[in-house]
Amino acid sequence: MENLNWLFYAYGIGVGLLFVYIFQISRREAVLRRRIADLQATVEEHWKK
Amino acid sequence: MSSRIATDSPAVPLWLGGPAALAMLVHLYLVFMWVSTESTMGIIQRIFYFHVPAATVAFVACFVGGVASILYLIKRDNKWDDLSVAANETVVVFEAINIVMGSIWGRRVWGIWWTWDAKLTSAFLLFFLYVAYLLIRRATPVEVRATVCAVICILGMLDVPLIYMSNRIFRTQHPSPVIGGGEGSGIAGDMKFTLFFGMFAMLLLWGCIVRLRRRVAQLERAGEDLTRRTNEMVDQGV
Repeated sequence: MENLNWLFYAYGIGVGLLFVYIFQISRREAVLRRRIADLQATVEEHWKK
Repeated sequence: MSSRIATDSPAVPLWLGGPAALAMLVHLYLVFMWVSTESTMGIIQRIFYFHVPAATVAFVACFVGGVASILYLIKRDNKWDDLSVAANETVVVFEAINIVMGSIWGRRVWGIWWTWDAKLTSAFLLFFLYVAYLLIRRATPVEVRATVCAVICILGMLDVPLIYMSNRIFRTQHPSPVIGGGEGSGIAGDMKFTLFFGMFAMLLLWGCIVRLRRRVAQLERAGEDLTRRTNEMVDQGV
């Protein structure tokens, strides 16, 4: 029974690390995409003037 | 504009993300519900089905990152540097999973969290090298960043055969290999199936993660390029 708890801890950490990493890079991608779209719009606007 | 990159299409297409998620779920089902329990260690041995695939994926990531770095040094094309950083960051994640899960397993079976034998030390060295790679990447000037990182990454790749061979050459606390370990090695059919399915599932997931991380690298590069051009425009008074 105690070993089963340790097994769940191990898998919890393993799967948890994967989830946290995927969540973190997904968020980073969304933030960067928005920031670059804004920057591109600013530069293009500047060139039109 | 040269810095505009295709961000309309998803970084991870459904044909890859769907099967990867499904395969991971099936893998967890196999580990917890299907595979037979090992007679000596008992249920804690099931850590094996995540611990070994994580190491396999880390090795594949080292190899992909190393080859991408070599291609970058030859062709000087940024797309290879983007692939290299994407693969190398995943080495840190999967190697961390491998080490932490192995350590928990070791605590239950050997009674210790860690020992500095050849296998564990070379695995820790790999993890440490790639953490150093990520830190150096942040600290190095943009103009030489890709070249410096490519050299470190190629050195990191050389550690992989050392880890693989360590428990074949030296006597280690870490058990002898059960796959490809020569005479007397081997595991039951259902265990082997679960292990290989785990490797397949984790490689699919790794494919998704690398694609997503490569997109982040492309966006970071585009952001740096746009910022530089905006600064040039300001300097020129345009």
